[in-house]
Amino acid sequence: MPSAKTQLVQAVLTWDYNLIFPCLLAIRLLITLTGVQSILEKNHQLTTPLTSYANLQEGIYLFNRGINPYDGGYFRHSPLFLSLFSTILPNTKSTAYIIWTLCDGIAAWALVQIWRARQGISTSSRDLLITTSYLFNPYLVLPSLALSTSTFENTFLLLCIMFASQGKASFALLTLALLVHLSLSTVVLIVPVILLLLSTPKSQLASPHANPVDFRKGLHLLGEYLVYFFILIFTSTLIAGNWNWVSQTWGTTLTLPDLTPNIGLWWYFFTEMFDHFRPFFLMVFSVHLLIYIAPICIKFQYDPLFALFVLIGITNISKAYPTLADPGVFLTMISIFPELYPYFQHPIVTTLLHLHASLLLPLFHQLWLVQGTGNANFFYASTLVLACANGAALRDCIWAGLRIALGPEKEGYIVVQE
Amino acid sequence: MAKWRALFCLAACLYPSALAISTEQFDEELTIRPLPDGKVASTFRFTTLLQGATPRDPQSLGGDDVSQHYTVFPLALGQILREYAVTELHLSLNAGKWRYDRWGLPKELGVGTGAELWAWMGDTEVTSIDKRWKGLRNALAGLFCASLGSLDDLRTTSPVQTFQPEGDLPDWDSPHDVRHASLPSEHVCTENLTPFLKLLPCKSRSGIASLLNPHRLFDADWHGMGVHVLWREKEGVEVRLTFQSVSDPLRSGSRQKQDWSLHSLFGRSIERECPVAHSSRVLVALPQDQSYSITPEPPLVETEWAVFDTTKINMPLNTAMTWAQNFEFPTEFNGAPLTVKRTLRGTSQAYGQLSITVQNRLSSELPVLYLETMPWLVQFYLSTLKASIGGKPHALSNLTYIPAIPHSRPTTFQMLLTIPAKSDLEIVLDVNKAFLLYAEHPPDAQRGWDLPPAILTPLVPIANHSTGQLRIYTPTLLVDLATPDFSMPYNVIIFTCSLIAFLFGNVFNLLTRKFVIIRVGSDKTT
Repeated sequence: MPSAKTQLVQAVLTWDYNLIFPCLLAIRLLITLTGVQSILEKNHQLTTPLTSYANLQEGIYLFNRGINPYDGGYFRHSPLFLSLFSTILPNTKSTAYIIWTLCDGIAAWALVQIWRARQGISTSSRDLLITTSYLFNPYLVLPSLALSTSTFENTFLLLCIMFASQGKASFALLTLALLVHLSLSTVVLIVPVILLLLSTPKSQLASPHANPVDFRKGLHLLGEYLVYFFILIFTSTLIAGNWNWVSQTWGTTLTLPDLTPNIGLWWYFFTEMFDHFRPFFLMVFSVHLLIYIAPICIKFQYDPLFALFVLIGITNISKAYPTLADPGVFLTMISIFPELYPYFQHPIVTTLLHLHASLLLPLFHQLWLVQGTGNANFFYASTLVLACANGAALRDCIWAGLRIALGPEKEGYIVVQE
Repeated sequence: MAKWRALFCLAACLYPSALAISTEQFDEELTIRPLPDGKVASTFRFTTLLQGATPRDPQSLGGDDVSQHYTVFPLALGQILREYAVTELHLSLNAGKWRYDRWGLPKELGVGTGAELWAWMGDTEVTSIDKRWKGLRNALAGLFCASLGSLDDLRTTSPVQTFQPEGDLPDWDSPHDVRHASLPSEHVCTENLTPFLKLLPCKSRSGIASLLNPHRLFDADWHGMGVHVLWREKEGVEVRLTFQSVSDPLRSGSRQKQDWSLHSLFGRSIERECPVAHSSRVLVALPQDQSYSITPEPPLVETEWAVFDTTKINMPLNTAMTWAQNFEFPTEFNGAPLTVKRTLRGTSQAYGQLSITVQNRLSSELPVLYLETMPWLVQFYLSTLKASIGGKPHALSNLTYIPAIPHSRPTTFQMLLTIPAKSDLEIVLDVNKAFLLYAEHPPDAQRGWDLPPAILTPLVPIANHSTGQLRIYTPTLLVDLATPDFSMPYNVIIFTCSLIAFLFGNVFNLLTRKFVIIRVGSDKTT
């Protein structure tokens, strides 16, 4: 009978995914024991007013004392979080770390399931790489350590894609409704998720073709989605007691009353915006996101999973209150599209831009708000660098996704756009 | 004959006003009190009573008001009170920090730094309270040349328990409600005193009011003026104009004594009496355990107070007090039985911690109502609220919390503190500092924002203060908020829009243009 030690060694040697996955989660939990999270909790790059744990605690505190947290105030989380943490889930710091790590675990597992569904296989040597790229991506680990609720959003996002890839329409639409409920800007993902349900998650990038859509079935799915969505609205209204939660949660992403700095493009723009142009630009910034849906869904109609991936990238650059977890999930998702890698034009530039941004962001934030030796422009400039880095990654992914159809380059020929 | 007729007409004209005098009563009083730390506190009080008058019922706001004829009562103020149907009004404009620990309780309670306005008004459907409150503060801003117009929705709260009416409220069908606002950054100066003096029947020409010399008053260590209007069911409408100051006789020159005289405090003496004053008294607190002399000899001594009646005494009056010994600064003060310290801790411009220490010096338990009316700039995290006495957790009760609305309503936060005898209660609370629109910052944005004082209301009578409700104000705080770069709006708009346009352009460029393969390099066929 082989000893446990040799079994473990063997498992590692054979990359037994089912054994290593819990180990990785355990390492994630161990990180929380280092106490590093106390300095991250109020970090503006990791939490926003919409996702911060301190705000969530304040809301639960008020809710438990019979004060409606949506009557003014700064509580901008969904009523679902309120009911969840005041009833089912225990509301202490230590259990929160376990819940948040478990969420990350579920998300990483969902990502692997998406990869498997795309490849049409039940297990692969790439599983571990994908899991690690999710569980140990610093953009995803740090917000999770700061107990930002964007971790939940990412979990629902990946669960939704997983269910859609596996063809489980009801589950996919329900998680999508939850996702849109938590983060309004993900509304752009409705169309590609429905397309994915109507089509296949298999990689079709190399062979573009027209993919006629069964509109009747699509509308049927959209109807089902709306039913779930309205059930969630109804439940939220029941929990909150009135309709104020709508303006406090979704209204915030549209009207930007809280100008706390974050890594996005909105806060400084609307801090500096002239009063009489403010409504106009709020409209432009909100509607701008919707412009991308149709072109990307049409262009990548043969591979809706890729269209979904591209739209996630766009949303995460241009949403009102992003945390680092938003670009993080996009970057991690690149790992399930290995066919793109040979066709990237400037991966080094993208990486360096990200490195540059991730070093500058905390530094300039500290200089501006704590040391007082820098000013707001410093931090703003580093958010621009991050937006450039995200933009470069997005551009390269779209380029590679289109370029792949033309096959590898031959000597003496180059591929250009007309 | 024509001469007689003219005289008759004149008498007929004068008659109503002569009648009015009998229903108006003007009293003035000056209280001077040497303080334990060598300073001298003086309080002027000018009380005009409109006998038998009632405040205007807000139900009658739609129609014409009764005509107003006053002789002594200030018309300018009367018009404002009638126009906005104000039942009770309290305005105070103060400069400096009242030191409860050294000076004890003030004669007039409203000593919060800056401007404070609160009013009780009847609600009505004709014009809402909030509409009249807005009109009232703008009218008072015009009358007193103060920035009371800034006491807008950002600062208005309705804390009923702390600001109970000092007088009575008429029994109308419509309920009464209070509106309160304070502006700690408002400065008090001569331009506020001049309109204040105009409300007095003798202006500053005679009587006690002639001592109100701006050069000396605004040089004092602490000074503040107040306007109080209230209604007493059995008496009528009372207007009380007050001025308090704390001067330092030890400050000037090489004098080592706490000696003072009216002339040294105010640069003037009372030259003549105010003829319309019903009573006019100067009260001087007499020290109990020190040897002193007071001139002129007080005609009347009531327990610890020397009383000079200016209507009966020889003019000019220049009351003076001299001490036999040099002043010695005491090592310990026996000030107010309840003191409070409030600080904002933390170096970050994004968040901090509010720390409050309330000290009860009494030998009995003291229930105190604590009120914060914080502008939205500082956001409370009540979930982090912790109270302790000597390191041991202490329970707080009766929390009332109305959260702020960003860019508008302030926070109203009230709690009941029960402080055991001779102990310090410490309260800490995490706060967030808001980020403002660039246009919301004041011109001197780097200076920070003054936060209004918190107010403590003991629920049992303390010290020898018996008249109604007591209010103790904490000093104001200064919060340093993060500022954007004010010269950058165009640059930011251009940079961000360019970046978004660049992304948009890139994505659409990739999506719409056709991919083609072209031959490059050394072409062997040509």
